[in-house]
Amino acid sequence: METTVPRLPKLQPWYWTVPRIAVGLFVLAVISLLWLLHRQEVEEQRASLIGDTLWVEQNLHFNLSRSQEQLQQLGQDFFGAERANGSFDARIRSYLLNNPGIVHVQALDADGLPVRRDPGVVGNAAQGENPRTESVYQAFRLSRSTGLPTFSAGHESGGEWFFALVVPHFRDGRHAGSLVAAYSFRKLLADQVPWWFAQKYRLSVVDANGLALGSKSNIEAGEETLRHRIPFDPPGHGLVLVATAYQSETSLPRNLLTLAIVALGAGVLASLWAQRRHMQKRLDAEQALSKEYAFRKAMEDSLFTGLRARDLEGRIIYVNPAFCRMTGFDAAELLNRLPPMPYWAPEEREATQAAHRRSLAGQSPSEGVELRFQRKNGERFDALIYEAPLIDAEGRHAGWMGSVVDITERKRAEELARQQQEKLQFTARLVTMGEMASTLAHEINQPLSAISSYTTGCMNRLEAGDLPRDELRETLGKLASQAQRAGRVIRRIYDFVRRSEPQRAPCDVNAVVEDAVGLIEGDARKRGVRIVLALAEKLPTVRADSVMLEQVLLNLMRNGIDAMQAMQPAERQLIVRTAAVEDGVEIDVADCGAGIAAEAAARLFEPFFSTKPEGMGMGLNICRSIVESHKGRMWVEANPAGGSVFRFTLPGG
Amino acid sequence: MKPAAYIVDDDEAIRDALTWLFRSRHVESRAWPSAEAFLADWRDDLRGCLVLDVRMGGMSGLQLFDLLCERGARLPVIFLSGHGDIPLAVAAVKKGAYDFVEKPFNDNELVDRVISAMGVDAAHQERRAGQASLASRLTQLTPREREVMDRILAGKYNKVIADELNIAMRTVEVHRARIFEKMGVKSAVELAQLLSGKH
Repeated sequence: METTVPRLPKLQPWYWTVPRIAVGLFVLAVISLLWLLHRQEVEEQRASLIGDTLWVEQNLHFNLSRSQEQLQQLGQDFFGAERANGSFDARIRSYLLNNPGIVHVQALDADGLPVRRDPGVVGNAAQGENPRTESVYQAFRLSRSTGLPTFSAGHESGGEWFFALVVPHFRDGRHAGSLVAAYSFRKLLADQVPWWFAQKYRLSVVDANGLALGSKSNIEAGEETLRHRIPFDPPGHGLVLVATAYQSETSLPRNLLTLAIVALGAGVLASLWAQRRHMQKRLDAEQALSKEYAFRKAMEDSLFTGLRARDLEGRIIYVNPAFCRMTGFDAAELLNRLPPMPYWAPEEREATQAAHRRSLAGQSPSEGVELRFQRKNGERFDALIYEAPLIDAEGRHAGWMGSVVDITERKRAEELARQQQEKLQFTARLVTMGEMASTLAHEINQPLSAISSYTTGCMNRLEAGDLPRDELRETLGKLASQAQRAGRVIRRIYDFVRRSEPQRAPCDVNAVVEDAVGLIEGDARKRGVRIVLALAEKLPTVRADSVMLEQVLLNLMRNGIDAMQAMQPAERQLIVRTAAVEDGVEIDVADCGAGIAAEAAARLFEPFFSTKPEGMGMGLNICRSIVESHKGRMWVEANPAGGSVFRFTLPGG
Repeated sequence: MKPAAYIVDDDEAIRDALTWLFRSRHVESRAWPSAEAFLADWRDDLRGCLVLDVRMGGMSGLQLFDLLCERGARLPVIFLSGHGDIPLAVAAVKKGAYDFVEKPFNDNELVDRVISAMGVDAAHQERRAGQASLASRLTQLTPREREVMDRILAGKYNKVIADELNIAMRTVEVHRARIFEKMGVKSAVELAQLLSGKH
């Protein structure tokens, strides 16, 4: 069968590079996306930090402005008419309550001295504090000179930082005194910075030297990410509000997403790798398979034995190259063919069909079947076929596998050997006959020679006239005994011949014909001749020597087979017919050969006449002698269908 | 010993018939039933002709012929051959047998052949005898007489011979007379004829 070995696609280098690049790009894109998201988040954070910080600053600003206004109002009232109004303290207290950032309020006179102790300083934190702290005093002077409320720089007291708001009051254009509100940075921030801000950021007040004066945060100091600074004015003096964002607890969904992406990426890579390994294994397996396949194919192609597989219906499903070579047909011409196959010889069709049916029924003999096939060019060949069930991979019986061996050469050799043997036997027979003839000739020659010599001697002496009667009598006696001796030799030959007289017994001619056909059938098949029997149903019994009769039939059939060797195999048909005739049985042996030339026909039954190069010319002569010894008759006629018909009769009895 | 036809055949009737036949033509004959019996009686001086059957029990005629050839017998042999033996008989003739006749034979022809073979044998015999006497006569010549005879045979005159041998003319004449006397001839021509087959 001509099938090309399937070639595996060669793996190009890009085969693996492309997915690798794709995966790399994908990971890169995911990373970029994450980075961008992060950036965006940071930006948003920054924006919100700035906004929040601004908002807080505004809040502080607003608070300070409001408390300044209230302080101005209070100062107006204090330095106005009723200086020692008892309700003033209550107002101060209420004021302090409304402004928790203020630790205490102090009233200073025009010289900057505390007006009084009570209610000069209201509040608890600043108890005993020196109002004349340098920074406060500077602010006092500045405010006195400018006439505007002024914030002091920060100052420390008791580990805590403060600043002061100094609001001057003028009465009738003269400086009457100032109210000083001391702010604690800590408290201010604690009061003014809302909880949500503190939740996110740390807000600190830092002076020009970078010293933190107070801060608020609800979160623990961690790694800082962002920081925003805005000037804290008022109170000014280089104070800066610093909002620091700490790394908040990272958001769970985002982390999950990232994790998922990373996990997915890893999964993709892992699956790619697994795929690659799988592919590699597959590839190896395929390679091994193709190698194995190629090996098997090579084995199969190098076989001399033809192989052909048929399915259960007898359809050809596979043939190997040896079978194609043997038959001369291409695999394509044979595959899927149902019987009759193109390589069946037409004249053997029935036998082949029968063998085919037997093999499909699983009754093919294990020693093989011999069939005659034809090649595409019409040449015949003998094949020995072994059939075995074809079991497929699932263990099902799928058809029949046949191995076909061309045994033409072997048979030819056998035939040659047989012919050689025959020739040898023939030669041996000839030699024996020659020797026998020579012996007989010698034995008869001896007495004849003696007789001749005696006679000549007698004549010589009679002519010379000196033959006495006694001597003549004696010699004549010798002559007679030599003549008798010759007679005895002849009688011995006759006795020898008489010993092979037919042994007549009642016999069934049809049975004899069938026996003879059985003996010669193998030979006939070898030589491509079909023997057709046309036996009459009821034949009279014949008294005959069945062995001799068989000899006659064998001889006639062999002649017929020889006569048809030049014919086409399909035409080689030998018909043996028996028929009842009025006084016995008539037997025909009809061939379809070339027939017999007229001059040969006349001498056909003569002894030592033969048309065959090796013939002794005794066959037909002996046949006729045998038939005649059975009181029958034998003759030859031309076959109307071509060839000759040898016919003989045997009387019933 | 008188020349005769010697018959060797294992068939008694043939022997008897042939003896009868030869007697009818006055040819002396003797018969042996086998080659072995003949060999036992064989002598070198048998004269005549051997009539041998080709095919016999025991030693065949051809074997006997070969044996006689080896022993240097010069007896002419006529084979009697059967139908299948002709090639053998022809081979024997090529080896020196006188002739063969095929059975059944024309009897008087066989006798004629036998007689002619006997004649040939007799002629052989005579020549052999003549040669023997010539050789003995030559041995009687003295060396000097041989020298003179060679020159006579060369056709030289007495004078030339005398000069060559450095002897007197008279002496040559004496030698010449002696030579003629010893060789039994009367002239130089006779001497030359006598010795033509020799030397």
